[in-house]
Amino acid sequence: MHAYVAVLALIGPPAALIVAVYALSFAFAPPGEAGVGPFLSGARPQEHALSRYHVRWYAVTMVFLAFDMEMIFMYPWALVVTSVGAKAVIEMFLFLALLMAGVVYAWREGAFRWV
Amino acid sequence: MSDGAPVGAAVALPLVLAGLAYSAAVMDAAFRTGDGPAAPLRESVLLLLRQRRRTLASDVPLVRIGVISLPVAALLAAAVIPLDGGPGGSRVWNLPVSVVWFNAMEVVAWASLWLAGWGANSAFPLVGGYRFLAQGLAYELPHMFALITASLGAGSLDFGAIAAAQDEVWFAVWMPVAFAVYLLSALAMAFWGPMEHPVADDLGGGAAAELSGPDRLLFFAGRLALVAVAAAAAVPLFLGGGAGPWLPGWAWTLIKTVAVLALLVWLRGRWPVIRMDRFMTAAWAVLIPAALLQALVVGVVVLD
Amino acid sequence: MGLRERLVRFATACPHVFVVTVPGATRTRLLLEAELRRRRGRPVASPAAATTLVVCGTPGPELGTAVDTVWSGIPAPRALVRLEETASAEEVAAALDRAARELADVPAQWAAAAARSREGPWAPGGDGEHDHMSGHGHGGHEHGMEPPMGLAMAGRADDRDGLKLDVLHVPLGPALKDWPAGLVLRLTLQGDIVQDAEAGVARGRGGGASFWDEPWLRAAAGERVPEGEAERRRAASHLDSVGRLLAVAGWENAADRARGLRDDVLAARSAKVLAVRFAGFARRTRQSRTLRWMLRDVGGIDRAMADRHGLAGPEARHLGDVFDRLSGWLDDTGAALARADSTAPLEGTGGPRGPVGSRAAAPVLDVLPELLGGAELAAARLIVAGLDPDLDRLAEPAEAPGE
Repeated sequence: MHAYVAVLALIGPPAALIVAVYALSFAFAPPGEAGVGPFLSGARPQEHALSRYHVRWYAVTMVFLAFDMEMIFMYPWALVVTSVGAKAVIEMFLFLALLMAGVVYAWREGAFRWV
Repeated sequence: MSDGAPVGAAVALPLVLAGLAYSAAVMDAAFRTGDGPAAPLRESVLLLLRQRRRTLASDVPLVRIGVISLPVAALLAAAVIPLDGGPGGSRVWNLPVSVVWFNAMEVVAWASLWLAGWGANSAFPLVGGYRFLAQGLAYELPHMFALITASLGAGSLDFGAIAAAQDEVWFAVWMPVAFAVYLLSALAMAFWGPMEHPVADDLGGGAAAELSGPDRLLFFAGRLALVAVAAAAAVPLFLGGGAGPWLPGWAWTLIKTVAVLALLVWLRGRWPVIRMDRFMTAAWAVLIPAALLQALVVGVVVLD
Repeated sequence: MGLRERLVRFATACPHVFVVTVPGATRTRLLLEAELRRRRGRPVASPAAATTLVVCGTPGPELGTAVDTVWSGIPAPRALVRLEETASAEEVAAALDRAARELADVPAQWAAAAARSREGPWAPGGDGEHDHMSGHGHGGHEHGMEPPMGLAMAGRADDRDGLKLDVLHVPLGPALKDWPAGLVLRLTLQGDIVQDAEAGVARGRGGGASFWDEPWLRAAAGERVPEGEAERRRAASHLDSVGRLLAVAGWENAADRARGLRDDVLAARSAKVLAVRFAGFARRTRQSRTLRWMLRDVGGIDRAMADRHGLAGPEARHLGDVFDRLSGWLDDTGAALARADSTAPLEGTGGPRGPVGSRAAAPVLDVLPELLGGAELAAARLIVAGLDPDLDRLAEPAEAPGE
């Protein structure tokens, strides 16, 4: 429990600092708010910028997700390698090799080049 | 600082982190404009003196969550880093899986940048926010492999134990690839130096283009804090923690942290910005295999 | 009020300047950049980061609107500086001093800020003079519903794979950091990929020929101009382009070195010393693998394309991608510096940006849309910086002497 008290104590000062930053700004900055248009190098917008952004690297996100899930296994694995022995290393790197085969395939399909 | 006083450490940590971030800003100003130690203070005071500014139909809560989460995430990541670099040493949170927590806090930056970029309702920040997501896809896996390689070398996910495992030889010496990958991915995580494309000037400052006043202050202070945390974590992970002759552990931790921090700040001017449409292939075809091979080598070594 | 004023003075000791340059005001821009360097200030990239807006030259109507728009985006305290095409170094310094005093005038700044807040936020359609901007490049706007906050939502158009996706209309220029003066690119974006680009020019009101062509123009008018002076101008012109390209590529250090060299070349420093310094700079720039990696295969121009558009500047001699053009600039700069002390009379019309007197920037504007289609936004900026059209040469085509 003591540790969590410390983490809470850790949140306190920065929270106070962040409040202080906004409070100082409120106290010292000119009053009110300047409502501006978006910066478009001197032009006015023709439409709202919020839109369905065309993410051309979406294929990379899929490969990433596959790998990222696997990474979760690697954290506990790192703890038991010495106790389990060679079996752990071989199994993990066989698994990683399979994933890398997927990466090589994605690479050949051009997933990492999108422009 | 004794190990019975994590609350004391909790008070000291924000100060240490702020000090490190400020010194990073001073070094950066010195490298860039030859300005003195007051330069970051001037910037901060200026930002506190500016009228509030709001873009048309912007989502202020989103932007603010993005901005505030940066320094908070940096601090929470720092909470598990041992201040004196030793096992069971003084740190705010004696978490046995501190590496995982550290990694989780770093990933908050993905949300921070995207929220700040999306919320402004402006085209340049929008593009900047998405640039960082692409950057995340490129750097995050090599970064995690570097963290896991160090953990594997020590058989522990605890920063203190990892530092203690380097009694004889630093991990930076016998796993240099992991160390190099860690530094590069730390630059990317803190969108700093050659990895600052998400906030680059070619789009008027990218994700930060519309930030002004206290928002801008917290955003860039948070970024510096991330750089500082990344430098501080490199010490227990790869540089032997607080080990060193004559001086106490906390002093060695501080010296090593400032050295890594100076390196990261200095690197800023050394390279042009790296774009993800070029870097993505290199990240997956070179960095990840290299980091995996390093992990394999370490795995084989720890078996003996 | 005393405390606030002291704080503002302390905080604005280094200027935060957003620079808008009008075609024909290159000389003023160079003076401003030198003065900013002396004051340890840097041009900033957005109005949100600026305290001072500096306009180099006298803008025409379109540029004037852009200046007003940028000005309206700068939060208080703020100051506006207008510099003439003919401004001297002392005038530039005095104007920046005046701006610093204006910023520290707390009562006036705070009153203006309060008034602005009372005015309410900017709303689309509120300022009538922008009407002509909305006529450009409309895609598939969906009308019929009341648009939120008076501004339409993004329309949709086919992408290169035939998918219907949201498009944004995003202009680059004329008010943009490290951007050719007066250039306006109206881009249609899907994500950060340029689907369509249209190039235009926002002109200035003031006259004056291109600063970079000036020695050749004077020679053509019958004056005896030493060749060395012209070659220095050529070297400075290329160094200016190199500095801009490196800045856009995000390599601030190298950009600063290029600009420092440029100013020293113009300041008639010893050519021998400059040649040594330049050789070191050029070697480091050329050998940067990262730079090569980032610039390779960006904006490639081949012979057929150059002929089709009638390109006549250095970009026609150094065919290839942006990195080839950068190398070409460095080659030409080295060659020019080798002749920087020549006192022979200047002959010919071979200016740094192409034959002097021709409208060499016009073909570059023609080639831009073709180069930009399908490029990523960052690559688009690199392509523009790698061509660096000098629109000063379009400003007064009628006054340029014939060959």
